Amino acid sequence: MAAAPPCAFSPRGCRLFASCGPDGRLRVWDTAGSRLQHEYVPSAHLSAACTCLAWAPAEARQPPGKDGPQRKKRKSEVGEVDKQLDILAIGTAVGSILLYSTVKGELQSKLDGGHDSRVNCVRWHQDSCCLYSCSDDKHIVEWNTQTCKVKCKWKGDNSSVTCLCISPDGKMLLSAGRTIKLWDLETKEVYRHFTGHATSVSSLMFTTVKPMNESKPFDGITGLYFLSGAIHDRLLSVWQIRSDRKEKNAVMSFTVTDEPTFVDLTVSEVKEEPVKLAVVCRDGQLHLFEHILNGYCKKPLTSNCTIQIATPGNDGDSTPKPVPILAAAFCTDKQSLLLVYGNTLQPIIEKVTLNTSESHICLVRDIQKVLSLKTDAALTKVKTPVVNSDTKVLVPGIPGHSTAVKTPASGKEKKKNKRKPGETEESIEERLGALDIDVSKVKTPGGLPQTDSFAVLLVQGLESNDAEILNKVLNTRKENIVKNTVARMPIHAVIPLLHELTKRLQGNPYSASVMVRWLKSVFTVHASYLSTLPDLIPQLGMLYQLMESRVKTLQKLCRLHGRLFILVTQVAASQTVQDVPEVNQTAKLVYEDDSSEEEGSDDEMIADKDSDENWDEDEEKEEQSDEQDMTVEKEVNGDSDLEPENESEEE
Amino acid sequence: MVAPGALRVVRCGGSTLCGARAVFSADSKYLLCASGDFVKVYSVNTEETLRLMSGHADLVTGIQLNPHNHMQLYSSSLDGTIKLWDFMDGILIKTFTVGSKLLALYTLATAEDSVFVVIPKKGERDTFQLVSVKLTKGAGQDLESKELLVVLDGVGASMKHIAFGREGAYVVSVKGVNLQVYFFKRKLLNRFSLSTLKTKGGDNRFSCVVCHPTEDCIATGHADGKIRLWRNFHHKKEYTYSTLHWHHDIVMDLAFSMEGTRLLSGGVESVLVQWHNESSCQKDFLPRLGSPIEYISMASDGALCCTLHTDNRITIINSNLRFSRSIQGLIKSRDVKTGLVVDPRTKALVLNGEPGHLQFYSLQSDQQLFSLDIVQRQYIHEAGLKQSDLVKVAFSARGTWLATVEESEEVTDPELQLKLWFYHEEAQSFQLNTRINTPHDNHITDMCFRDMDELGDDSLILVTTGRDCVFKVWVMVEDTDPEAQQSVSWTCDFVGSYHNYQATNCCFSEDGSLLAVSFEETVTVWDSLTWDLKCTFCHPPGNIRKICFGRLTCSKYLIGATDYGFLCCWNLLTCALEWSAHLNIVVLQPDPVSEHIAAVSWLSKESSLFVFKPNEPRPIYIQRNLCKEKILLAAFVPRDEPEMTSSEKYPWLRKSQLFFLTDTQELMTLSTKSLEERLTPSSKQLAVEESLPVTPFSVLLGKHRQQQAQEDTDLGKPVVHNKQEQASPAVKELLHTPAHVLPSASFLCSIFINSLLISKENKSVEEVADEVEMESEKAEDDSDEEDVTAMEQEDTSHMELLGEMTCKLSKSQEKELRKIRKMDYSWISAF
Repeated sequence: MAAAPPCAFSPRGCRLFASCGPDGRLRVWDTAGSRLQHEYVPSAHLSAACTCLAWAPAEARQPPGKDGPQRKKRKSEVGEVDKQLDILAIGTAVGSILLYSTVKGELQSKLDGGHDSRVNCVRWHQDSCCLYSCSDDKHIVEWNTQTCKVKCKWKGDNSSVTCLCISPDGKMLLSAGRTIKLWDLETKEVYRHFTGHATSVSSLMFTTVKPMNESKPFDGITGLYFLSGAIHDRLLSVWQIRSDRKEKNAVMSFTVTDEPTFVDLTVSEVKEEPVKLAVVCRDGQLHLFEHILNGYCKKPLTSNCTIQIATPGNDGDSTPKPVPILAAAFCTDKQSLLLVYGNTLQPIIEKVTLNTSESHICLVRDIQKVLSLKTDAALTKVKTPVVNSDTKVLVPGIPGHSTAVKTPASGKEKKKNKRKPGETEESIEERLGALDIDVSKVKTPGGLPQTDSFAVLLVQGLESNDAEILNKVLNTRKENIVKNTVARMPIHAVIPLLHELTKRLQGNPYSASVMVRWLKSVFTVHASYLSTLPDLIPQLGMLYQLMESRVKTLQKLCRLHGRLFILVTQVAASQTVQDVPEVNQTAKLVYEDDSSEEEGSDDEMIADKDSDENWDEDEEKEEQSDEQDMTVEKEVNGDSDLEPENESEEE
Repeated sequence: MVAPGALRVVRCGGSTLCGARAVFSADSKYLLCASGDFVKVYSVNTEETLRLMSGHADLVTGIQLNPHNHMQLYSSSLDGTIKLWDFMDGILIKTFTVGSKLLALYTLATAEDSVFVVIPKKGERDTFQLVSVKLTKGAGQDLESKELLVVLDGVGASMKHIAFGREGAYVVSVKGVNLQVYFFKRKLLNRFSLSTLKTKGGDNRFSCVVCHPTEDCIATGHADGKIRLWRNFHHKKEYTYSTLHWHHDIVMDLAFSMEGTRLLSGGVESVLVQWHNESSCQKDFLPRLGSPIEYISMASDGALCCTLHTDNRITIINSNLRFSRSIQGLIKSRDVKTGLVVDPRTKALVLNGEPGHLQFYSLQSDQQLFSLDIVQRQYIHEAGLKQSDLVKVAFSARGTWLATVEESEEVTDPELQLKLWFYHEEAQSFQLNTRINTPHDNHITDMCFRDMDELGDDSLILVTTGRDCVFKVWVMVEDTDPEAQQSVSWTCDFVGSYHNYQATNCCFSEDGSLLAVSFEETVTVWDSLTWDLKCTFCHPPGNIRKICFGRLTCSKYLIGATDYGFLCCWNLLTCALEWSAHLNIVVLQPDPVSEHIAAVSWLSKESSLFVFKPNEPRPIYIQRNLCKEKILLAAFVPRDEPEMTSSEKYPWLRKSQLFFLTDTQELMTLSTKSLEERLTPSSKQLAVEESLPVTPFSVLLGKHRQQQAQEDTDLGKPVVHNKQEQASPAVKELLHTPAHVLPSASFLCSIFINSLLISKENKSVEEVADEVEMESEKAEDDSDEEDVTAMEQEDTSHMELLGEMTCKLSKSQEKELRKIRKMDYSWISAF
């Protein structure tokens, strides 16, 4: 029968996991790091394949009555190193049993002469000097591991004996072929029979260490429950050993989706504490049961929780593929589970804490990625965490790197929400503004001179959010053009311009040097307007931080320089600004169409400005409408270059 | 207050492994190394500790196998004793008390009953002498060995500065730029010295010395990275040396292979260099060993070598320069800046490891789980380079988020990076989510997550405090940008400051509603919803050193320790000082699962531990003089299962365990167990005798070897090997014919066996020995069987060694062989 490869967790906190692959190699894995501890190849691994594994019990304890079933006995002391010889008993297909020391990494002894056929199950006695094995040759053998000799051998069944289990007190032995027999180890006589399985039993386990009703004195075995699972059987049966010999049928049964391949449970020591059972099925699913054992239950119980593992399947192959679970064990805290899944040759061991209230859990695991990450760590134990290109990077000045020094009290969520509507509001404003422009544009064909000065371009670009126009305008390096454009810019466009500039400053460090000129002139020309804004701090907080972080290195020097510069240029600019309205006023008179005056006074002003500034360029534009942008720019530059100079000279 | 049967301080995490060169056992299966006061036996196959041999009262400085018995080991210690162990069973056989500090230990096969040790010279500081100690024979276990004979004066203190030459004919010692060779037979001392001038960046000082195993050749390593090979040093004048140069910095250790054809060298570059035939053109490298190499040692069969590294690691390397195994203790980094943090997912202790790495150390199994490469930059082993290292680490409550801060070593303008990692379950690995450059303008002093279980990880908040006088609050936001691939990222939510004082500590209350940030002398308490300043506390004079909130029933208290020597407890409801105590607290550590708080004070060269509940001014546990070293860090690690045994006496140790890290980077814990319980003695082990089935080969080999040994001892003359010509023609033919033209093994077997038979005792001893050699050669082909046979041979040899004569043996052997011949050899055809 092509059963699942034998595997077992070490006692004492499941620090190690041993598995024997189909290639006959024994591999011992470290469960904490999911790392191959070592590998052992028995000399006859091809002819005598490994059929079963059993870890030696943690240690021989003095009061044997208190002991749980050996595989369940877990004693972990934090910080204590238990480096006692961990012996692993390996049953082989030819009837010999190997004792392998996992600490030394070498074969300790070989038990020969007990069986002449496939060993089906090995179990250690709690007192650790005895080993029990059963085989296809229908016999059960008791070994003395000290001398490596057969202590006792008796016929266990009429067919092959497939499974063994030792009672918690160490005085009884359960064996199973098709029927389950309870042997008295003292006399080697059958104490009880349990029949019910149609196929050979593959797992046997005691689920309780004490009887649940303490009315009668406990004789070590009566009243205990045990669990059995058989091959090709989707039901796990629970039996009770009763004093009245009426145990004809199973007390209850658990139903799973496929034949159980690995069973682990937490032994309940208190009556109220439910038994937790983890059953790994052949189809790779894990079923968790939680049940308080008390008497009969007719109906088979279904699992409280089913766990499956699948690949994400988002890239490349689009369908998620299931990943089989190979084994599972409860950790010492009885809450979290150790899951072994993936390939038997390279399993992944993970500790999970699951919310078992959900009836079905599917864990998504990218097996390929995990394995590729794991192989890096194989020797040096250095793991490299994943660093993707889509990582968010915050550098000083980028929004989110630091916030303004306390905005008026508002919760962070509220603020976040606020910001979003704020943006939309602005866009409405912009739309309104855009409407204006459109209106004016519509008008221009009606005889009005068309404008294509930088200020107009800029405003258009800002309103339409056209990157091309903005690039064209903002990439000018000539100080004068910048100054003039800013001066002639409508006031309502100042804030959008600042936002645009902030965005560009954050983006490319090289563009900053160009943008700074714009910023400079905006602040020199429009400082008074900006200072009147009530929501200046939220509007420009980001820009402030950006500048703050950029000038940090030469903070004091830069501050002084900046202040002096503002002072000097304010004085100069106050005159130029005065000049501009003059131009405006003259321009106003030229207006023929008054429709724009119906709007608010601000807008009026702006519209005026726009049209005024562009008086001169109208004709040129018309002439060269088909020409390249570059030439337009140049000419525009030429024009605007002239003007401020003239102005200043006039002054 | 201290209950009887008090707690004991127990070291864990393994002490430093590089006390001395490690030693391989004769069969290369075990590795012995000095570890603090102990000698540890590791299994080479599995990296596990087999034995921990304790008995020395101070650091073990040298270990050497007993040259006359390979199962025994000599160890020397600073406590002035030499101990002889049976390392396979972990039994102390003898203790020889020498008296003065022993700094290094050497054994020689030719020296019958003496060993060589380095001791400080009496009356003079910093001068050491090599003396031979006569190990007195006596019945008792503890013996005095005061019979000292000075061999060399003015030697170096390190074990690397002395080496014994071929067959113990001479001893070499190096110190400074001087090399001295002492010939035992001729009683001649030759001194050579190199120029002290540091020309062209060269530095001629010696750093280590080794001797060629078969020739008269000395290899010395130098501080400038050169290796010199000295020959003809019998003559004062006509000595010669050749130079090998690859290392750019000091050569830390050298080792010759057993035949002397290969020379291994290692240094701070953490590259193992293998030189062939002493020529500088032929060399192999094994790079990226992780950290500087401190010692190199070779196994006696040459199959393995191992390097001991400064970061407490042993790397076992096989003969073709491949990694084989690594044994890793708790990595000692220069400075544990990250503190002791517990990873909630793996329950491992997390702290600085190798530069730029975080080590995850499992306390349950007392071994390193893995180390996480956070900085992800190639570490250049070069003195004086400014390297980036991790300074702060924090985990979210469930371990799904990890925040790390790395900074370059510059003091004035640190280059800071705050990285937020998300544990990606699919890939079972941490994944970088957000990287924040220069989160603060100056050093980050503290960092903490808001641990809130009930709200889930969606409402995570991270607070960092910096010396730039602000604390920053980072929140997780959902990305609105549709182009971003990540659904969440981190942004700054709030920047708080208080009177332009430097922010030093931060911590959240248990329910996460309050944030306490200390600014120099003042503790400020902030509302974590609105980030309003609620109240301030201070206890002038003195800056706040540590703060923490009480937990569970004591959650209304805030505890602070000032560097002026006060421990204060403030009531958050009344905003008043509840109590204060005059203690110089250096460590304040709350238990995450109970209301207990551990405080460690440091006063006049001793650390004391106080455990208290904030609501009671009287501590529930005091331990004065916890240890001599200063305790820098502490951590409570929750236990998997509550411990029952100590629960009555020490309720605060029930749910979690307390770990300390001292300034010498020893990890310690408190244990209620008695010494016997803690040290798991070997007697408790599962007694399974080694009993392996006898293979025909082992029977054959056993007999031959045994006879050979017998004859060796009987005749008292060394057996000369390697006389191929004398082998029988059949065997010769067998070995020289190509395998593909040979007939089947079953056919050859009888011829082969016949050839081994001794024809009526007229064969010389040498011939027999030869044949044995051949056999073992053949046996080696069968690698599976080889181990088995070797062990078996030893077992059988003991029993039948007594009183059998040579001629008699050969007869019985003949009989035995006949018997074997009749046996079934069909198994041979399987190979």
